[in-house]
Amino acid sequence: MEILSISKLSVIYDGRSVLSDFNLSVARGDKILIKGRSGIGKSTLFRIIMGFSVQDSGTISIEGVPVNAETVWDLRKRIAYVSQDTDIAHGKVKDLVDEIFSFKANKATLDRDELGQILSYLSLTHEILNKEYTRLSGGEKQRIVVLLVLLSGKDIFLLDEVTAELDSALKQKVVDIFLKNPKWTVISISHDREWENEHVKVIDFSEEN
Amino acid sequence: MQTYEVGLTGLLFSFLLLLVPVLISHYLDLKLISSTVESVIRMVLQLVFAGIFLTFLFDLNNALLNILWVLVMVFVASHTVLKNAELKIRHLIPSMVASLALTNYALLLYFNSFIIDLNDLFEARYFIPIAGMMLGNSLRANVVAMDNFCTEIQRNENRYLFRLSMGAEKTEALIPYLRKSIRVALKPTIANMATIGIVFIPGMMTGQILAGASPMVAIEYQIAIMLAIYVTTMVNVLLGILVLMRRGFDEYGMFNKDMLRNV
Repeated sequence: MEILSISKLSVIYDGRSVLSDFNLSVARGDKILIKGRSGIGKSTLFRIIMGFSVQDSGTISIEGVPVNAETVWDLRKRIAYVSQDTDIAHGKVKDLVDEIFSFKANKATLDRDELGQILSYLSLTHEILNKEYTRLSGGEKQRIVVLLVLLSGKDIFLLDEVTAELDSALKQKVVDIFLKNPKWTVISISHDREWENEHVKVIDFSEEN
Repeated sequence: MQTYEVGLTGLLFSFLLLLVPVLISHYLDLKLISSTVESVIRMVLQLVFAGIFLTFLFDLNNALLNILWVLVMVFVASHTVLKNAELKIRHLIPSMVASLALTNYALLLYFNSFIIDLNDLFEARYFIPIAGMMLGNSLRANVVAMDNFCTEIQRNENRYLFRLSMGAEKTEALIPYLRKSIRVALKPTIANMATIGIVFIPGMMTGQILAGASPMVAIEYQIAIMLAIYVTTMVNVLLGILVLMRRGFDEYGMFNKDMLRNV
């Protein structure tokens, strides 16, 4: 079943064509890796799916629902999107977790046991919850973002360089957790080899455009 | 008790004092003479106008006219806030005027009826100067709050977008920014309350004492007005941010940069 459909998408940014006539069809459970040099429009694609930027032409639908100003608010509750920028909070990690799970859309989803399991899977301890988020290392921030996304209970993931700052053992662990669930639809932008695996379809933007 | 007026001779002596800043500016080459002179002239003209106009308003003492004049004050205050927060005036002024008018009229009526127990709630001698105290003292906080909100939402846009992608409603995602702006804006007002009477004797209290009131009457007024100013400031600041949250974002929830001047 088609979960994401992009047709004839074109984006012009600062007078330069970033995406032109781009088409993509993603079925439920698909795992997709997007590659290509920077500045080629990979991140822009995610921003448009989330409604953070608007395309110049073309359409995007999620399960048949076109992304527009009315539908985007509900779609954001279904899709987990992680941008490259991990500067997402100040204050304690614990407060960040509490804040995210105080949103109406997430109230029922926080499972403390699962939180503990994911923490230890990502080689973190509960101590990190009492640390200042801004003082964490790049790799720790990235793992906290992954943790929040995994706890959100969503099943469509748009991941922009989520493994870039991890060491190779952790990269593999994060890749595995996103790829192992057959129900999850995952689109990942990454330069990391760990994502290249027989179950993952690779789209190279350098060739497309 | 006799009250001494300043009078024309007194005013001449006040202007004579200006020689001090002018000479300092001249010898240190501060280049402040022309702006000092310009500001002094503006102040004098505005106050002369206010003196004449307020005499006229006080003599007429017409409730409707007083209400209208406060509305003019609200309009000028809103304009000043938006201008100083570097926001486009036309886009925001209707909602700004509406929200400032709401708080100020409500507080004025409360003040006049419960705190000083006036017979005529709209009596010009109270209605207008008290409105001026409340509006004037909340201006700075309003500018700080709106400016802080716009700066933070742009500097930390990613934090906002992350919350939206984690399923937050616009309001839920903006609450941290709202909180921060209000806290930053109110800190000086709170600090000011704590030092009053010791570090400085506020203008209103000084005025009443000079006009012959006993210090006890003057402090009663001062306490009441400080509390009213604090409440007005907090509510004005909150409403100002709510106006920004409502009007400052497009239908996708993205911050509307068109609202800013100099962009």
